[in-house]
Amino acid sequence: MIRSKQILALLALVFLAEAFLPGCSHRSSLPLTGPQVLNETEKAGEKVFMQNCQRCHPQGEAGLGPSILWAPGFAKRFQVRHGAGAMPAFDKEHLSEKELDQLMEYLKALKKN
Amino acid sequence: MLLIALPALYGCYGIRPSQGGGEAKTSERKIHPKDIALPKGYAIEAVATDLTFPTGIAFDGQGLIYVVESGYAYGETWAEPRLLKIGPSGKASIVATGAKNGPWNGITFYEGQFYVSEGGEMDGGKILRISREGEVTALIENLPSMGDHHTNGPIVTNGYVYFGQGTATNSGVVGEDNARFGWLKRHPDFHDIPCNDIVLNGKNYETDNPLTDDPDDKATTGAFVFFNTKTHEGQIIKGSLPCSGSLMRIPLDGGEPELIAWGFRNPYGMAAHDGKLFVVENGFDDRGSRPVWGTGDLLWEVKENQWYGWPDYSGHEPLDHHGYKVPGKGTVELLLKEHPAKPPSPVAVLGVHSSSNGMDFSTGDVFGYNGKAFIAQLGDMAPNVGKVRGPVGFKVVVVDVELGIVQDFAVNKGNKNGPASLLRKGGLERPVAVKFHPDGKSLYVVDFGIIDTSGKGTVSRKGTGVVWKITKQ
Repeated sequence: MIRSKQILALLALVFLAEAFLPGCSHRSSLPLTGPQVLNETEKAGEKVFMQNCQRCHPQGEAGLGPSILWAPGFAKRFQVRHGAGAMPAFDKEHLSEKELDQLMEYLKALKKN
Repeated sequence: MLLIALPALYGCYGIRPSQGGGEAKTSERKIHPKDIALPKGYAIEAVATDLTFPTGIAFDGQGLIYVVESGYAYGETWAEPRLLKIGPSGKASIVATGAKNGPWNGITFYEGQFYVSEGGEMDGGKILRISREGEVTALIENLPSMGDHHTNGPIVTNGYVYFGQGTATNSGVVGEDNARFGWLKRHPDFHDIPCNDIVLNGKNYETDNPLTDDPDDKATTGAFVFFNTKTHEGQIIKGSLPCSGSLMRIPLDGGEPELIAWGFRNPYGMAAHDGKLFVVENGFDDRGSRPVWGTGDLLWEVKENQWYGWPDYSGHEPLDHHGYKVPGKGTVELLLKEHPAKPPSPVAVLGVHSSSNGMDFSTGDVFGYNGKAFIAQLGDMAPNVGKVRGPVGFKVVVVDVELGIVQDFAVNKGNKNGPASLLRKGGLERPVAVKFHPDGKSLYVVDFGIIDTSGKGTVSRKGTGVVWKITKQ
């Protein structure tokens, strides 16, 4: 059981890495995409993003870290909680489940815009 | 599986080369405003071109445009610092010039006089007052400005001239990176000066010694001391004014500096708005004897006498927080045995290495974005400041200072972000300052020009600076 979980985790990590590698060509900059209309959950997620993610992924685009616009939601959630590569993990003390849910909703909105 | 997964993951950052925006594909500066994206309803035009390292803009009582050219750029490129008047056709005429002691980093106009920050890379920083006729008076001299970062600002508010003073080093320890910057051989006795007494942890760092010809010679250096000087635990470093990494003020006619706040790394842009004082700070680099990774540039609301964390914090987080561990290296050691205070949370966190610099607030509905801060982002200097996965900065962002939300306002079009010289286009290169015209209708953007980091060193290209004007239609 433990071994299968580990394999699943590694698969997710590999998928995440693969998803991140090509993700530098998409833009989410508002002057390019037009204004973004966010619901209350997405607005809360935007604040979480600004406090924790913006520094390395400005507007979701590549910066210190890679673009996160192309990665699937489950991979991003896994990456936030566990960290991999250079990115640190954000545990529940730093980022509650509710905040993580809000962040994921915002990232979905950012990807759609 | 492990063999596949780990290289794939670490390879994202550890193995892949840096992909910063300074790795220019052309040295030619094209001007095509249509290459710049703005929110709907805004237009941009170039109002002055062919400038050499412009850094600041001001408007006199009649709303006429004045620009300062820095006279110094990273890569040890020297020129004559100049105050220029920009005519209606974009033609520049010289109002005043300075000595070889740039960079002139900023300008403001107040009651018939210009106030200019002289970076002081050669002889120390100054605040200059310059009359319309070009008469130059130093209001304060010998600021500790001969290192990595310089004297910044100024602004005039509350009847005083406020200015920022950057630190000598990246993170408190003089090292080989400072020799590469060019200043360590010029000023081997220069180091950071705290504003108040501090107590050290006694951390020392061994490096090669670039001050001798012996390639095997080593140096050991602690914090807040000369290069190749050891420190010990419990050692007290006396504070004094003027000091490094601080915000200070002087009377309008000059005089002794008064400390406003300290613990900044490089407090570059500043603005007073709604009775509050805001400062933009450039965060740490991944370089030198004590590299730091992952710290964003920060927008602060300044409280008097507050310590803001340098050299041991980024925002309210200490640097031994796991998030700031340099990939492939250990966790950063804290330098101070006791910290003067716990720093507050910043107003907003901006991109790591974005070099978020000049700032101004919109104060009306004519332009829109009333009460929001506009910040010019010069853009990354990677790989010299550390590795990045994509160009950072090279644009103007707008910040909601109540919510801490950062959004792009002016960026280059294309399938990736970056300066015009990387994209081979004619848009923004390196925005370094923003300033609203007194009529509130237009935002002016000072664009430093091309800084090329693609070779072994840094090459700043003269004559590639531009002033842009953004107007709501």
